[in-house]
Amino acid sequence: MTRKNKNFGSQSIPLRPRDGICGLYASSSRLSYSLSVVVLAILLLGVSTGVFVGAGDTVAEASGSAADGLAAAVIAPPELTAADYPTIAGVNGRVTVWLVAQLHLWFAAFVLAVPIFVFIIEAIGMRTRDKRYDEMAYEFIKISITAYSLTAILGGLLLFSLIVFYPHLFQYLSGVFGESMFYYALLFFAESAALYLYYYGWQWLQGGFRKWVHLTLGLLLNAAGTTLMFLANGWVTFMMSPAGVDPAGVFAGDTWAAMHNYLWNPINLHRFIANIAYGGSIVGAYAAFRFLSATRPEERAHYDWMGYNANFIAILALLPLPFAGYYLAAEIYAYSQQMGITLMGGIFAWLFIIQAVLIGTLFLSANYYLWCGMGRSDGAQRYNKFIKYLAIVIIASFLVWFTPHTLVLTNEELKVLGGPYHKYLGPLGIMPAKNTAVNIMILFTALSFLFYRRSNRIATVAWVKAGNTAQLALYTAGIANLLFLGVYHGYFTNTVYKVAASIPQVMTTLIVIVVSLGLDSAMYRGAREVAPLNWGRVPNRAQYALFLLAVAFTWLMGLMGYIRSGIRQHWHVTDVFRDNSLDAYTPTLGYAANVVSAGTILFMAMVIFIFWLSQVSSRKTPTEGFGNQAEGR
Amino acid sequence: MSTAVQKPVIPRLLQAALVIAGIYAGFWLIFDLILAQPIPQSLMVMYMFFVVSGVFMVFTFTEESARQLIAPIRALVEDQTKKTLRNVVFIVVPALAAVAVFFQLQPSDEAPLELRSIHPAPPSSVKIFGKRYDLMSLENPYRHLEKDDPEQFQELVAVGGEVYIRNCQYCHGDKLDGKGPYAQGLNPVPLNFQDIGTIAQLQESFLFWRIATGGPGLPKEATPWISSMPIWQEFLSEEEIWQVILYLYDYTGHRPRSWEHE
Amino acid sequence: MKNFLQVIAFSLLMIGFFAAFSNFGIPEIQPAPPPVQEKLDLGAMTPERFITLGEKLFNGKGTCALCHNAVGGRAPPLDRVATLASERLADSRYQGGANDVQGYLVESLVDPSAYVVAGFGKAGSGDTESPMPNAAAGSIGLSEVEVNAVVAYLQDLAGTEVTVEIPKGTEGEATGPEPVTGTARTALASAEEIIDRFGCVACHKLAGKGGEIGPDLTQIGASKDASYLRQAILDPAAEIVEGYPPIMPVTYEVELYAGELELLVQYLAALK
Repeated sequence: MTRKNKNFGSQSIPLRPRDGICGLYASSSRLSYSLSVVVLAILLLGVSTGVFVGAGDTVAEASGSAADGLAAAVIAPPELTAADYPTIAGVNGRVTVWLVAQLHLWFAAFVLAVPIFVFIIEAIGMRTRDKRYDEMAYEFIKISITAYSLTAILGGLLLFSLIVFYPHLFQYLSGVFGESMFYYALLFFAESAALYLYYYGWQWLQGGFRKWVHLTLGLLLNAAGTTLMFLANGWVTFMMSPAGVDPAGVFAGDTWAAMHNYLWNPINLHRFIANIAYGGSIVGAYAAFRFLSATRPEERAHYDWMGYNANFIAILALLPLPFAGYYLAAEIYAYSQQMGITLMGGIFAWLFIIQAVLIGTLFLSANYYLWCGMGRSDGAQRYNKFIKYLAIVIIASFLVWFTPHTLVLTNEELKVLGGPYHKYLGPLGIMPAKNTAVNIMILFTALSFLFYRRSNRIATVAWVKAGNTAQLALYTAGIANLLFLGVYHGYFTNTVYKVAASIPQVMTTLIVIVVSLGLDSAMYRGAREVAPLNWGRVPNRAQYALFLLAVAFTWLMGLMGYIRSGIRQHWHVTDVFRDNSLDAYTPTLGYAANVVSAGTILFMAMVIFIFWLSQVSSRKTPTEGFGNQAEGR
Repeated sequence: MSTAVQKPVIPRLLQAALVIAGIYAGFWLIFDLILAQPIPQSLMVMYMFFVVSGVFMVFTFTEESARQLIAPIRALVEDQTKKTLRNVVFIVVPALAAVAVFFQLQPSDEAPLELRSIHPAPPSSVKIFGKRYDLMSLENPYRHLEKDDPEQFQELVAVGGEVYIRNCQYCHGDKLDGKGPYAQGLNPVPLNFQDIGTIAQLQESFLFWRIATGGPGLPKEATPWISSMPIWQEFLSEEEIWQVILYLYDYTGHRPRSWEHE
Repeated sequence: MKNFLQVIAFSLLMIGFFAAFSNFGIPEIQPAPPPVQEKLDLGAMTPERFITLGEKLFNGKGTCALCHNAVGGRAPPLDRVATLASERLADSRYQGGANDVQGYLVESLVDPSAYVVAGFGKAGSGDTESPMPNAAAGSIGLSEVEVNAVVAYLQDLAGTEVTVEIPKGTEGEATGPEPVTGTARTALASAEEIIDRFGCVACHKLAGKGGEIGPDLTQIGASKDASYLRQAILDPAAEIVEGYPPIMPVTYEVELYAGELELLVQYLAALK
């Protein structure tokens, strides 16, 4: 059901800017590789939109621009029958669009996220004058360059498959969003220009004023990229919560109203945060991959450090993500109760059990990575004995979170339990228990990080004891409050308060984390180092944990893409444009999981290929006996 | 460095195995033995999967501990002096796996799993004996006699008891514990009225609905197709149903649930 | 190369685990197919079937039961709504234009904000705005006939008289994977045929001929009007004529089609 539309332009895109970029940077072979791919994609897009516009009878060839022509005609969703959907023998249109859209989204999320934290890391490097940060930022952006062209190719492919398999839907959407699609294409040029300047000008624009120019370029790149995402989000959320159209779907003519629909901002926020976490995890996988194939100790040290930072970014963005998720779900409820119940009940209820497994995997592997990382310093041995308690709490919370409300029972078990509800596990199946568990899990992940921070240092301030007591008291009070809120509101008040407790719980968690980190950094200011932090001294297992983080993240995004699109059920555009194709039914979770798995495998294959490319690019083979100079010797 | 460290009394691998076994035994002890509410197998598999992952994480996050954990396995594979043991393990372990798979794939007469809700939400009204009853406000017409005319109430209870013995006890048991002579042949099992979780949690109108329309009257989530409760409105009169309900509560000592007292 | 393969194997293993869990770790539930638009023979509609259709719409296509149920607490229960309607029409907070129970019920489906039950309004609207969608539009999209069927069901649910017009003869659209319950036969075209088919003269006298178990109907139109006759056929026990046993079958409500019932009632009322 995932249908996203990305159009990179209409037939009227001028060719000049592209020539300009080509001309400017034609000297670099890497550049011409990636550029030629982008150019090819854009050319294909130009052709395809030409085909599309030619097919649409609403556009008079003679009229000046496509937008004018479309606005004149009434834009309304047609009533379709199964015969209106083109079929190609042996190809399932829905799965094709689904897979391509998902792949495009994965790459897009990655290439949008990387510049965000590259910009931040570069700024940190500028402030601290630590060369390592600048180098790391440069390496991050280097990885995203190849991914950038893949994003464009997949975007083009998505456009093709939408036009081929869902021509009427695409016609309707392009009618509603005509102008914004044009801006999208222009912005795409702006983004490409900024990205290439940013990347290829990195070494050139160093030091003093030049660095400031470079940082500004980074800001421009991010502004363009984020706006691009917001535009595309508008198209997607229009399909979920249409606005700017009447109940029959007839477009009133205001593209901004359609763009600024009910779920636009919740999705924008959720995707923005998730992109950062996702980008971090993919870069972490890259560092892990390079670490595993590194031969020299300094290389290992570098990639270990890089992996650590990437993981840190991923976890930092992961922590507020559940709360952005709550917000999105609450807004879906507020938009349409029916859509909300479809989301949380019925077949999708079990999806959240799968989601629990995935997010649990994320937390477990992130924690494991931190624990393994403590081995970098001999000073960490003091804390080793605490790890098992952290593990017990995190696993226990995870088991609570994972317990479903409706149990799958054999008849034998039904007999023993005397009913389908488990007296003691049943109460763990409802939201308050799960909220409490996930908050405790987040708190203990923060605690893992606290131990990691302290691993190679001893605080020297006078109030160490008081500080530690305060930390302990803070965590104890926080956990007590979480438990109280969860248990009291969950089981001793009526239904209305069950969900209401989640907000104070979230606040508790955030406050504890922020205050304890603040306290800790004050305590460890000027702390004595007991043992050096040996970057590179980390087991390979930890790198696999980083890899698992990336895989689980990718898979999870695919799964949530399925439900985001799936809650529209048999509608192209909720309530106004019915999907009458043979594939209008909601696929089962198992089927969706298989599609998502196939997509993840494709994505990981491409990503590993990109990683490998970045390795190859730095290799040089001596050409003895091949070139002319060799002959002359 | 490692020579200075004292070897643990118990090998790490054994420790890990013991911890996992201990947690499993703990689950079993608490849920099966003490609480008599075993964890369903489908859930237990996942629980143990993550417990094992957690134990693995704790035992391998330091290099040394990981080495100690793997040492016996490594020795088994690499140490030439353990050749015989290796051969035995390499035959026995796959054989055990094969046996496990074989038994898992055996067809059984166990019915496929169904998500069944035993006390489904009742409809707000229902048609019984050609009349429409509002289940939210429906009350046992004889219940008031309990206070007003205890003697007549006891008589009605006795009549209900007779109805029960003639019709219900074959499955639900003469002690109302769900263990009648035919109970063993039924799946799902007949309800045990003595249990605090059954009629004590329900209103009399719910029982009236369940008895009168029987298994086929269940909503879909309660899998009407596997319940063998007959449609009693075809065999009993309205009065008899109310009387038998009186008997059920009287014999078990439970009180019907009533919204007024909450 | 070794690392490369190991990483790939590891990733595949993890993906395989997630996929396996989704396929085998949780119950596979087949989602309901999208509702199919299907023609329904409304000529063969009895009051009973019309109410059943309403009930099915209430629980199915109408998606009413998602919120209007005993456990959710998201929307007011509707089991007594038909009896409460007149009270609500008199309420000062009532915004709509209906003036009878049926009108109120129809309006409550298509314009839910006309009257919002206290405590069930959208958050922050002070019970002036209902979170319920228009049941006749959007994704629910009940047709006019279907709205009436739901109203008929609600009236029957409350135990009040079903006042909505049962469609006769005309074709409309209704939804459901299977046709409405009961075996369909072709509707009979004249009162004589109906009387013949249902064997009325076995008990009643018509034009001087027939049994004497029930009252003589030869000149029944002179003393009773159509609405009395309609009730007497649908619910014979409502009023028993002195001196006759209460044995008239109650099954005509189910067996007679609405169109036939009207034919029969008009025919009898004309016997003067």
